[in-house]
Amino acid sequence: MLEPVNISLAELNLVTLMPMLIAIAGGLIVLTIDLIKENLHKSLYVMLTILILLIDLGATVGLQYNERGFFDVMLIDGVAILSQIIILIASMLFIPLALTSKRFHEYSYPEFFALFMFMIAGFQFMVSSDNLILIFVGLETASLSLYTLIALHNRHNSFEAAVKYFTMGALAAGFYSMGAAILYGISGSLELYQIAEAIQGRMDEAGMMILILGGAGFLLASFAFKLSLFPFHTWAPDVYEGASAPLAGYMSVVPKVAAFVVSMRIFEMFIELGIEWVQVAILVLAVVTMTIANIMALVQEDVKRMLAYSSISHAGFVMAAIALATTKANTGIFLYYGLFMFTNLGAFAMLWVSRHKHRIHHARYDHPYEKFSGMIKIMPIGAVVMALFMLSLAGVPPFSVFWGKIYLMSAAVDAGYVWLAIVMGLNSAIAAYYYLKLIVYMFLKEPTGQVNEATVYYNVSTPLMTILGFAVFVTVGSMFYVDPLLEYITEMIKISGIGFN
Amino acid sequence: MSHILSALVFFPALAGILGFVVDKKSAKAYGIAVAAVEFLLSIWLWISFDGSNAGMQFTEYVPIIAQFGISYNLGVDGISLFIVIMATMITLLGIILLREDTPNMKNMIVSLLFLEMTMVGVFVSLDAIVFYLFWELSLVPMLYIIGAWGGPTRVYAAVKFFLYTFAGSLIMLVGLLAMAYLYNLEAGVWSFNILDWYKLQLTADQQFWLFLAFFAGFAIKVPMFPFHTWLPHAHGQAPTIGSVILAAVLLKMGTYGFVRFSLPILPDASVDFTPFIMVLSLIMVVYTAMVAFAQKDMKQVIAYSSVSHMGIIMIGVFAMNAEGLGGSIFLMLSHGIVSGALFMLVGVIYERRGTKLMSEFGGLAATMPIYATVFGVMLMASVGLPLTIGFVGEFLVLLGFYKVSVIGTIIAGSTIIIGSIYMLALFKKSFFGPVTNEKNFGLKDLDARELTALLPLVAIVVWLGVYPKPVLEPIDNSVKKLLVQMEEHAQFPSTKDAIIISKKEAE
Repeated sequence: MLEPVNISLAELNLVTLMPMLIAIAGGLIVLTIDLIKENLHKSLYVMLTILILLIDLGATVGLQYNERGFFDVMLIDGVAILSQIIILIASMLFIPLALTSKRFHEYSYPEFFALFMFMIAGFQFMVSSDNLILIFVGLETASLSLYTLIALHNRHNSFEAAVKYFTMGALAAGFYSMGAAILYGISGSLELYQIAEAIQGRMDEAGMMILILGGAGFLLASFAFKLSLFPFHTWAPDVYEGASAPLAGYMSVVPKVAAFVVSMRIFEMFIELGIEWVQVAILVLAVVTMTIANIMALVQEDVKRMLAYSSISHAGFVMAAIALATTKANTGIFLYYGLFMFTNLGAFAMLWVSRHKHRIHHARYDHPYEKFSGMIKIMPIGAVVMALFMLSLAGVPPFSVFWGKIYLMSAAVDAGYVWLAIVMGLNSAIAAYYYLKLIVYMFLKEPTGQVNEATVYYNVSTPLMTILGFAVFVTVGSMFYVDPLLEYITEMIKISGIGFN
Repeated sequence: MSHILSALVFFPALAGILGFVVDKKSAKAYGIAVAAVEFLLSIWLWISFDGSNAGMQFTEYVPIIAQFGISYNLGVDGISLFIVIMATMITLLGIILLREDTPNMKNMIVSLLFLEMTMVGVFVSLDAIVFYLFWELSLVPMLYIIGAWGGPTRVYAAVKFFLYTFAGSLIMLVGLLAMAYLYNLEAGVWSFNILDWYKLQLTADQQFWLFLAFFAGFAIKVPMFPFHTWLPHAHGQAPTIGSVILAAVLLKMGTYGFVRFSLPILPDASVDFTPFIMVLSLIMVVYTAMVAFAQKDMKQVIAYSSVSHMGIIMIGVFAMNAEGLGGSIFLMLSHGIVSGALFMLVGVIYERRGTKLMSEFGGLAATMPIYATVFGVMLMASVGLPLTIGFVGEFLVLLGFYKVSVIGTIIAGSTIIIGSIYMLALFKKSFFGPVTNEKNFGLKDLDARELTALLPLVAIVVWLGVYPKPVLEPIDNSVKKLLVQMEEHAQFPSTKDAIIISKKEAE
């Protein structure tokens, strides 16, 4: 007979659940409104979503640091708060992109917005827990919603993308549960800190290393899928291509930030325990990912696919920081994604502006390079804006991504990995070529036949312009806010106590 | 005016942004006006500059990322002062020389003004990251200028230019980050301040690798043999204004980098690497001079001769004595003025005939006497004839180098002969003899616009050739200070011996 457990409400510390509950409630509100009155315009849902996310952000910022709650499965440390802030801001940037001048199928369903908020709740759970089950639940909630969101972009390659992503995601989920099961087998616990203790204690036992190897290996494979690291990256370009442009931009930031936070918690635990091969494996994955993805990006004919490969390469770049496992490297991860988010979303939003319902430029691609040729003559401001995003992605100073880049490279140098910093530098040089290719098309070539003002401005609207303007502002003015941002992030990372000093 | 350097850096950029509003037809006049104001600002800088003070002047300091030690830190000394003035002057004259019917004139003016910001910024930055920032940014407008107004394969040339230099400077960036890290280990705080780095003691091993990292960035920019292959393409395709600025100012960023970073921060490694650099430089000097002789295209001759002269500058920098280093700084200026002027002159004839092949010309002296005279003066300055600007620098460099290596000096000196062979051959083929090609009859001589751009350069060539003292003196002061600093900073006695300072002269 089990003893009944008494837990008071205060002990549950339900306030730690507030942010996710707000997002879930928001989703339910959207569904309820739809139930009461049909055929409301999408702008209502967009604004409602923004407001709910704003409240969510407020609740997140207001959380106490280093609290546990809800049967101790929730862990609100600096990393959790930081990543939730990034997730929420990226979501708020993304959602107004639904207000295009042309009508796109998916946004007329209120379910889109409900699913979107459930997905955010899922990601929030994922980043604010160190319990392997809750991480899994969050991951799956978010992923299942995301598959549906992709498929809602009603074209046959979006279905393909959704199914592809779903199958790959299912495989990754399988790997994850195998890995988690092995760790449970070693330690009898699902809490990461208890697992760490157990591994520490049993590390010298015979045959234990093989188990740890298996557990970490499965988990690494699973997150390599989510982060689109080589050799598990093959789904990414197709999925990005099938999804609508802003959603692709969103996918290159938010799911990755969430996955990076979990990888940080899991793999840096292994590294701190002194299990070296995890570090080596991550380094190899990171270097190979950034290089292979860069080389693949060079040969793409479609800008969206190029950007997809480029964001894989950026993910590889950041993954190297996980292997370093220092406070500075972890700070670099958030600085990088905090800055990259605006630039990359901006670049994808530029594709969205020129998105046409039919493929008028190329039989196979929506956004071939030719579409942008001579853009400076047709849409000068658009061309300059896109060029700024490209230069920023290439890491040309003083644009935003440059600061993330040097901070990560500097972290590599500090940790004694000068070769890694050089590899990162050389990869940035390779990457410059394909970003430059787009600039060359926009500035140095003549417009082709079908390109004119009507086709490039096809989808533009005031909300899109506002978001783009904001993204440009953040990209160009980075020099002035990097200092306080860096200070805040460093503070938060130090509070969390993840990584070596 | 204590913020004159900030004004110098950001005035053209601000004017460039406002330039978007200016009407297309008035764009050139706007450009000239802005560049003239900028030039006057730089002259004002010279007037208020204290020539007897060898240290940094007009310094400005604002932290940008305090905890990472990045700050907006500017300053100017005798080494950078005249390069800045040359940059603003060449930009002004280059804009004057632009044809009225240049397509997209407004975009050209705006790009040039942004380019001017980056050029001035590189030479007055005292913070490594700010330096790097301007260094990289300078690639963007140049990419556009070559790519939009260049010759038939301009896009290839522009992209090659960009990628080549970008790759090199990323390696340099790793070096800069490593420097900051080592400084942090030593001093406990982060700093990218170059003047702080001058005090840092590094082991021979660290210096070796850092030198190589810096070398990757600077040598590609100079461009040192064997990294020079991007330059002929860039020059071959660039429009006149692009070549002028590229040769006159952008290449100087590389040699300036060696003077500002490699020598004082890594004195021991610099001395160790001297034989290596000397060999590369001598190869570069002699080899490119020979290649220049084999060219059929006038612009390529000048492009290769400009590379060849950059080799002499490198020799002077690594001679590690006051004459060589001071001479090479002076040579940077004279090379900027002379090769800038020569590219302008080639541009002038190209505009008239649409070709740059020497075989197409002949007897130009008869049809275009003023043009031939100006060309002749610049050519003499280029081969280093006494009483021209080219002689002063070249003589000082060879004098300095003589103290290091006699044989090397003879080899380097031989290029003066090779130089005069190919230059005079160029001059003979194009300007003397009978007019063989009937298209050359009735070519118009220089008009007012071209004379306005070229005559100031002729005046400077003669003035500084006869009386270089006002420029040489501040350069000399700062160079001596740099060498004293290097000697104090150096750790190994052999290095100290190698850095020959005429101490008596300094005292």
